[in-house]
Amino acid sequence: MTLAIVLVIAAVLALVFILRVALSRSLQISADASLAGQIQPMDVAAFRNLIDPAEDHYLRRRLPASDFRLVQRERLRAMANYVQLAGRNAAVLVRIGQEALTTSDAQTAEAAQQLVDQALLLRRNAAVALLRIYVALAWPSLGLAAAPILDGYERLNGSAMLLGRLQNPAAPVRISATW
Amino acid sequence: MLQAHSPLWNYLWVAPNVLLLILAALIWGRGLRRLFPAFLAFAVLSAIGQLAVFVADVAPSVSAENFWVVDWVSLLTEGTLKFVLIAEIFACVFDPYPSVAKLGKFLIRAVGVALVLTSAVAAAYAPKGTYALISGAHLLEQTIYLIECGLLIFVFLFSSYFRLSWDRPLFGIALGLSVSACVHLATWAVLANTNLSTANRHYLDFLNMATYHACVLIWFYYLLVPQKAVIKSAVPLPENNLAVWNRELERLLHQ
Repeated sequence: MTLAIVLVIAAVLALVFILRVALSRSLQISADASLAGQIQPMDVAAFRNLIDPAEDHYLRRRLPASDFRLVQRERLRAMANYVQLAGRNAAVLVRIGQEALTTSDAQTAEAAQQLVDQALLLRRNAAVALLRIYVALAWPSLGLAAAPILDGYERLNGSAMLLGRLQNPAAPVRISATW
Repeated sequence: MLQAHSPLWNYLWVAPNVLLLILAALIWGRGLRRLFPAFLAFAVLSAIGQLAVFVADVAPSVSAENFWVVDWVSLLTEGTLKFVLIAEIFACVFDPYPSVAKLGKFLIRAVGVALVLTSAVAAAYAPKGTYALISGAHLLEQTIYLIECGLLIFVFLFSSYFRLSWDRPLFGIALGLSVSACVHLATWAVLANTNLSTANRHYLDFLNMATYHACVLIWFYYLLVPQKAVIKSAVPLPENNLAVWNRELERLLHQ
């Protein structure tokens, strides 16, 4: 009987999730026009500074261990915010790219495909990086290599701008605040 | 009205399968068979299988034992086809994107193994009935729907995380299959693990058949009714300056 209850609850939850997906899909179709407005520019220079290993070494040398852990936790939280933002921007760019994939212009379609691929890669990397950041929050003294995320984000930015340029030469999209 | 072999019972058992055969013919006629071959095979073979079980149920010449043998064959065929269909859905959604396809394949295999183990444990803990052929069929239903439901949820979750959009027909196929899997999982879990009265079992049979009928109508809607034409203009992009753009373009070209 217990097993039946567990399976029924699991099935109901699964059904609710699927119906939510179906509903959000129909809402998504009508909201596509405002996609570019959902992109939040990201301060790449600040993020680069945050993940610089030299900064880590400097702080580790200059601060007592307990202070270093406190500061490092704050830095990791800030890093997580940046990575989440990069991941959210990547998700929006996936949708912008998919919209553009249907175009008849081969050059735009190719740029869109590239953008989608890089955005998906970034979203995947962002998920892995977030996991590592949360692990590092528990053990702040461990090293954390977030540089691949930054590199991926910068490549993605280039692709977004290429696609934006091809679609609308007057107004390419930018997803970074500083260069 | 809600009794076995009432007109409503017979309608709910036969109509969805006849509709499914009509849908398969329409899919064939409209040239969609190349896009969704697994769905076409599923529609034809599962409908024929279910109609064969219905005939075995109503024909006086078919013994109870033979009825359950026909049911087992139909179940195994349908179950196999469903997993082939899920593989087709997965391939259609993720194969165009190599950056996530590899990870997706790895994860869905892991989820599949976990679901097989979970369903084996669930089957092991289920009460054993007097007739192995009958209780075994109930457990097989529970097992198939548990794995099917889990795999479909994974496909939806994974694509939702990456915000991947689906083709309308593909989404409809997955939606119908998922709704059917969830409801059937719940009902078969109850049927396989409890001692319900015959009347209550029939209510659950009605729920299963009505749900399946609704799912066939979902497939009709998504596969045959065209999407409203949406005039898509270029995505409005935020302002930027050309100097930054040119610098980035050069950087992109030199990668």
